[in-house]
Formats: sequence, C-alpha cells, structure tokens
Amino acid sequence: MIDQLYALYKREVLKLFRSRFMWAMILAQPLMWIIFFGNSLAGLPKGFLAQYFGVDNYLAYMLPGMVTISMMTAGTFASISIVIDRRLGYLKRVLTTPTPRSAVFLAKALGGMTRGLLMVPVILALGALLGVHYKIDWGALVAWLAGLLALGIGFSSLFAVFTSNTSDVHAPGVIANFITMPLMFTSTAIFPREFFPTWLKALSEVNPLTYATELGREALIYGSAPSTTALAALALFAVTTTAIGIVMVETQLSPD
Amino acid sequence: MNSIVVQNLVKRYGEVEALRGISFEVARGEVFGLLGPNGAGKTTTIKILTGLTKPTSGRALVAGFDVVEEPMEVKKRIGWVASEVIVDDELTGWENLEIQARLAGVKNWRERAAELLKYFGLSEAANRPLGKYSTGMRKRLEVAMAILHAPEILFMDEPTVGLDVGARVGLWEVVRQINKDFGVTVLLTTHYMEEAEQLCNRIAIINKGVLVATGTPDELKAKYGVDVIELEVDRPVDTAKLAAFGEVAMSNGKVLIKTGNAEEKVAEVVKAVEGIKSVRVKKASLDTVFLNLTGATFEGEQADIKRLYMKVRMARR
Repeated sequence: MIDQLYALYKREVLKLFRSRFMWAMILAQPLMWIIFFGNSLAGLPKGFLAQYFGVDNYLAYMLPGMVTISMMTAGTFASISIVIDRRLGYLKRVLTTPTPRSAVFLAKALGGMTRGLLMVPVILALGALLGVHYKIDWGALVAWLAGLLALGIGFSSLFAVFTSNTSDVHAPGVIANFITMPLMFTSTAIFPREFFPTWLKALSEVNPLTYATELGREALIYGSAPSTTALAALALFAVTTTAIGIVMVETQLSPD
Repeated sequence: MNSIVVQNLVKRYGEVEALRGISFEVARGEVFGLLGPNGAGKTTTIKILTGLTKPTSGRALVAGFDVVEEPMEVKKRIGWVASEVIVDDELTGWENLEIQARLAGVKNWRERAAELLKYFGLSEAANRPLGKYSTGMRKRLEVAMAILHAPEILFMDEPTVGLDVGARVGLWEVVRQINKDFGVTVLLTTHYMEEAEQLCNRIAIINKGVLVATGTPDELKAKYGVDVIELEVDRPVDTAKLAAFGEVAMSNGKVLIKTGNAEEKVAEVVKAVEGIKSVRVKKASLDTVFLNLTGATFEGEQADIKRLYMKVRMARR
C-alpha cells in the first residue's frame, strides 16, 4: 500500500511540475486576487479597517483568506485528474495491479493538496512585496501549516469522491462550482464575521475555510497564539472527508 | 494444472448481454487465442479475468484464485496489455516502468527495468517522455511494463492493433519467447486470423457472447474449414463426374471443388478433367473457419454500403 501510494503520488508530482500551465496558474492566480480584489477596499478609512478587520490594511486581512481559498480550489484538480485517468484508461492499468482503490484516491488527494501548497509561498511573497507587514507567531504558524495540510487533503478528498464514478469531463467543474462558491462566501476568508447576518454567522462557524483563515491570521497578521479549536475542526474535516472518500472509492471507483 | 478456468460466465450491461455463459480452460504454458468479431465479448472476458469488472454470474479462476473472491491474489500473478496503448505520455519510459514496478510490488525493479529496456531496444529512449515515442516503441514499453513483475499469466487484448507489419512480427516473436523461455501462459484476443495461427496452441472462437468452437488451429480447420480446388477449363465439364471429390460449384467460368485434403486429390482431379488451363489449390484457413462460424460475410456488407451510398447521393440532389 505505501509503495503503491508513493508511486502514484510521485506520478502526480512529476506531472504537476512538468506542466507549464500549472506554473502559470500558480503565479497568475494570486496576482489577480491581490491586484484586483486586494485593492478593492483600499479607500476605507484606516480606523474603520482597524476596528472591524483587526488590521489597517485590507490586503493583509485578505491574504490568509486567499491562501485558504487557493487550497480549496486546488482540490478540484484531484477530481479532474481522476476523470482524465479514467478516460485515458490509466485507471485500468492501475487496477489490474494489486493496488487498493484507496491508494489511487489518496494519491489524488495528496496531489491536490501539493498543488495548493505550492501557491502559499507565492502568495506570501507577493504580499510582502506589496507592503504587508507580517506579525508572526511561530506556534500559530506551525498550527496553520498543519491546518492547511488538513484543509488541502480534506477538499481534494471531497472533490474526488464526486467523480469516483464518472468519465464526464464536465463533472469536476460543476461539482467545484457547487462547493467552492458557497463555501467561499459563507466563510470569513474575505469579510469579517461582524458584517454577517445571524444565519450567515452560523454558517461561517461550520465552514472549514473559516477555521483555516483564522489560523492564518493568527499566525501572520495578528501574531497571536493559535486556536486549538480551529486546528481540531480542520483535523476533523480532513479525517471525515478522507474516511468517507476511502469507503466510497473502495466500493464505487470504476476503472472505466 | 490449469492457469485459467472459466465456468459459465455471464456478463450483462443493463439490457445488453455481453457474455452468455462461456466456459473454457487454459492449461499452464499455453498460448490461448480468443477470436471473434468486434463486440463479440473478447474484451469483456479479459476485463473479468483481470479483475476490472465482476461477472454477473458464473465463475472464473486465474492462477488458481477466484477473480471475485480474491482479486488481489489474481492481480499479483497477471500482466495486462491493452488494445489501446495505455501509458503515461507525460512521463519518461523509465518513470513509467518505475511506477508500474512499485504498483506491482517488484523489489529489484531497477535491474529488471534496465534489462527489459535493453531487450526491447529502448535503452536510449529511456529518459525521453513517451509522448515522443513511436507507436511501436510505446507498445514495446507497454509489454515491458506488463512482464516487469514476471507474471504467471499474460493477458493481451488485441496486442498488435495499429502496428506496422515489422512491429507486429516483432511482437509475435516476443510473445513466443516469453511463453517459451519463462513458461508464461498467454491469453490473447485478436481478430487477425494470421496472428492466431502464428501464435496460439489453442483457439476459442467467440461470437455474440457465445463460444462457438474451441480447439487447436488444425482441429478447427479440419472441422470447420474447407480446401478448395479451383480449375480453369476451356470446355464444358461434367460436374456429376466431379461430385465424387466433393461439393462442386461454378463461379466466373471457374470450377470450384470444396473438399478436404486438396493436395492429395488434386492429381486425380486433373486426370479426370479434360482441357484444363490452370489449377489452384486453396487450403482451408482460419479465415474460412472464422467466416463460417461467425457468419460475417464481406460481400453482404459491401452491398449494403453501396446501397447506402446511392441513397446518400440521391438525398443530396
């Protein structure tokens, strides 16, 4: 199992690093967010920002949220990759060897997570370049990175589950829209909870994006100790989606 | 001991019955051919035997293990070559071999991979991405991947489809050697009669999900094939006189005698007929057996296409 997972994960990583488009996306996507969205609230008075966002620079507030959103969207590649492997027949190749279906699934989930993680340093570097002052809490930083791993594998699993049995290339995009849009807007990734109506507040509290984002703000912007609740919530999310994924895939994953 | 035992295998895809209860056995060390037209159920059979899909009913043992009960034990002992070449084009030959080796659980894979690359003449291309390989090279690499873990049984689904004549003959040689030198049992599907005749110890002909005949190529030819003696004559022939040799037919002014052992009878036929301009002997071939048993008639199809084409032309006016 370990050797097979290693082989399939290595395949994902090799393909990832060889794709020029992937590198273009890793660089371009953060740039778009930062330049366009990051500046969208630049005109707000600093006092207002400091009061409601906890920091007088909206870009600084948004940066951890952007990392979180990137981790989530990178997860869609896990499901796209499963669909492509099925269409190319590669899943048949794998499933005629003594490889458990869960290894196929976990490799895709880890691949999606890796894709997301590659964007983190790019986002942080761009932030620094554009004048974000990081106030780092090292304990929170470690917790945040662990949280991002959990978030990445959790979302990749979630996306991959939905396409474990289809060869329709449209499926990943549709699923992604149903998951990413609502989760993005019901989290605190781009706006503070204080602005939300009660029902949206309630939703944001069961949204994994919220927890990952708050951990990131503690680690980089507020420089405060990490919230163990947030880390626990993310671990729970990752374990649940991965477990559901493994069970589903062992019974559902079809070679063609 | 039998490498493969198939008992009354049925596979339904919704309404479609791809396999309607087929049974056969393949002895250890045999090269067994599954012949049939497109859609006959060849690929479905291989999919069941390699654990890719489950049969609706019936039983299949591969290397002594039940494909439904113990698929992992089966998969440890088999190699698989697809009809469409399935490799990862973005990775190099070496990387493809590495991944395959790790999936199959081969420990000393580096040595074996290097040996196989050399054997298949791919050593120099080892570090090039497969997207840059020719079809023949890709196929050879795929075969190398299939035998990397020294399987007991090798499944080859239409292995030479899309290969040029040289590559095809080369692959036949590989199959023979794998079979002879390592005692690997081979089950291959094909719709090339020549291929089956060249490679297979035994053949099963499958049509519409049913096995219609099983035997050695010679047995099948003796049972279902016919030899034809073709005479060109410059005067009318007394066909009644020739009936003693076999069924007589006239075609384009030629006399056709359907018979067994044509070589032995041809001398007597020549004595019995006057005014012969030429004589040809057509031996029974798997082609005639195949057409005989699967009912595929090329003339009929051509006539239909001609009619269809006429219709299309009419419609355009």
